[in-house]
Amino acid sequence: MAERADDRLVRLLGLVAYLDDAGPVEVEELAQRFGVSPRQVREDVDALWVSGTPGYMPDDLIDFDAFSLEDGVVALTQARGMTRPLRLGTREAVALVAALRAMHASPAVQADRGRAAVVASALDKLTAATGEAASAVDVRLAGDDDPQVMATVSGALTRGRRLHLRYVNAADVVSERDVDPARLVTQDGSTYLVGWCLRAGGRRTFRVDRILAARALDVPVEDHGLPGPGSSDDLGADVWGQVASRSAPAATLVLASAARWVAEEVPAESVRDLPDGSIEVRLRVTNPAWLRRLLLANGPDVVAVSPPEVARDAAEAARRALDAYALDDAAVEPAPGADPGNGSGGGLA
Amino acid sequence: MGSGDGTPARGTPPAERLLNLVIALVNTSAAMTKQQVRSGVNGYGDAPSTEAFERMFERDKDTLRALGIPIVTVDAGGHSDEVGYRIDNDAYALGPVDLTPAELGVVALAAQLWSDKTLRTDMSRAMTKLRAAGAGEAATDAVAGLAPRVRAAGDAYVPLLEAVSERRDVSFRYRAASTGQVLTRHVEPWRIAARGSGWYLVGFDRARGAARVFRLSRIAGRVRVGARSGAFDVPAEVDVDAMLGERVGVTRRAVLAVVPERAQALRARVLRRPDGAADEGAQGEGAGGARRAARGRDVVEVEFRSLSAFADEVAAYGAAVVVLEPADLRADVVRRLSAAAALDASVDGEGNRG
Repeated sequence: MAERADDRLVRLLGLVAYLDDAGPVEVEELAQRFGVSPRQVREDVDALWVSGTPGYMPDDLIDFDAFSLEDGVVALTQARGMTRPLRLGTREAVALVAALRAMHASPAVQADRGRAAVVASALDKLTAATGEAASAVDVRLAGDDDPQVMATVSGALTRGRRLHLRYVNAADVVSERDVDPARLVTQDGSTYLVGWCLRAGGRRTFRVDRILAARALDVPVEDHGLPGPGSSDDLGADVWGQVASRSAPAATLVLASAARWVAEEVPAESVRDLPDGSIEVRLRVTNPAWLRRLLLANGPDVVAVSPPEVARDAAEAARRALDAYALDDAAVEPAPGADPGNGSGGGLA
Repeated sequence: MGSGDGTPARGTPPAERLLNLVIALVNTSAAMTKQQVRSGVNGYGDAPSTEAFERMFERDKDTLRALGIPIVTVDAGGHSDEVGYRIDNDAYALGPVDLTPAELGVVALAAQLWSDKTLRTDMSRAMTKLRAAGAGEAATDAVAGLAPRVRAAGDAYVPLLEAVSERRDVSFRYRAASTGQVLTRHVEPWRIAARGSGWYLVGFDRARGAARVFRLSRIAGRVRVGARSGAFDVPAEVDVDAMLGERVGVTRRAVLAVVPERAQALRARVLRRPDGAADEGAQGEGAGGARRAARGRDVVEVEFRSLSAFADEVAAYGAAVVVLEPADLRADVVRRLSAAAALDASVDGEGNRG
């Protein structure tokens, strides 16, 4: 696809301003700095070479040293007044400052004093340079993660140390495991640790607020070929891969309009507005315990569930729970085994 | 507008035409009239008609302004009505930023926060500008392994941001969560906020005469932005969290009877020993808990703020967690469980009690 004209314009202006300040720079280095191919840099230089002020006589044009360019070095000799870097647009400044603020306030950054200081100084400089107070947009990344767990996890990540975790999964099953941390992903209000689980022998994602205890081991992490920091692979798959998958059995929920948020927050395969204001959500869920919990929490807003096994499973768990309340009312010891489907959460990290 | 015939099939590529316009308007001594642009600036002579030129020039001005290039209009001369254009050179340049490599690494990571295509385009452009400002190589050690992301805000974001920035009112069709009905709302927009997995607009709802929160994903269709800027005042203090109900009321305590080994995520939040461990048996027996210890269960105290959110969480544990106190929480959880217990009632007879 052809590059957008405005994106190219920003780079063309950026090249002139940068070269005016930096002096001669190799084509390769420019390509790296501006994130384009060396060939694109040469095309940009060609475009700049014929641009200038009206009249477009030789003295009106932006100029480069032709001999240097043959040696692969771009040397600007005439900038036609375009020496200053372009300021950020309002939208750019707002989004960047809001992102830095959100990062600064996030538990993953606050867990490390040095890290928080770097983010704070970057934020200060950007705010000063753009004059953007960015009160228009207010982003919060994640809530109440245990600061000690976060500090341990984030420290191990920075120093490349293996972690020993005590972790409770979505099915409420606790396990102990050693994990080589790769990334801390913050998304949808939660922080997730992505790493290589030595027990499972594979890549796993852990919600930080479900890490019961974390200890950094005196063992350096091994290279498991996990995507490194800054890679932009599918985080949604990381986060939701544990409960939803295209090949899993389908379930359909009809929800009252008040439970609209469910459709907005779960990995729904399809969402349909029904004429009476309710919504039909189709899910593919690998983990029955997760769906059961969803139904227990939202019972009053669930109009219908199919297939019937799913409805029955949740209803039975709810009845067991109500029995426990009845027993508590009678101040009698709860019946043994009054405990919904533990152990059905296989496949979870 | 928008017939699309303004761009010539051949001739100067748009990026080069824009570049020449910028250079011309930066270097002009006073200002340039449209006619001077058309006859003088490379690329505009390609326009086949006056109308085509006008469209092209208007669109280019919009493009440049969107990029942060300050085009201003001035009177071209005393004896003519014609308007002249130039670039405000003082407002053109980025202030000195002087980012260290570590800071540039932080900024580059922040730029990856957004999921929307529009915002990602904005961010890559912002990074081009910052790199052009001479910042060194980005060093990512300081933020190694961090990957902050927010969910896409959707199409409403751009017009709403423009409206918030310029204090213009907006109207949009909105689907009410309570009824599912779609109604037009007229709003003075104050803030755009992201919390959890949702994007929200906080503002003053004209028809209701009160501050309201709108979820962006429930806006149906286009957001219409009012013509007048500075149309209202934003209160000095907008407490987004309070309006979203994230900080309603005070922190309360619940007493729960929990099956041993169960509800670990809930237990971990409650009682945390200073060393960070949350071992079995570490659950202290609070004053309230000791009173009504259910035999066979651990009695723990948990703090909560939102009654309904906490009731959701507790109900999800089913029989593993029983609320002892307070009574309103207990009632809320029982209400959820009773509804869930009836989920298979309409199916057929066979699923009942067993």
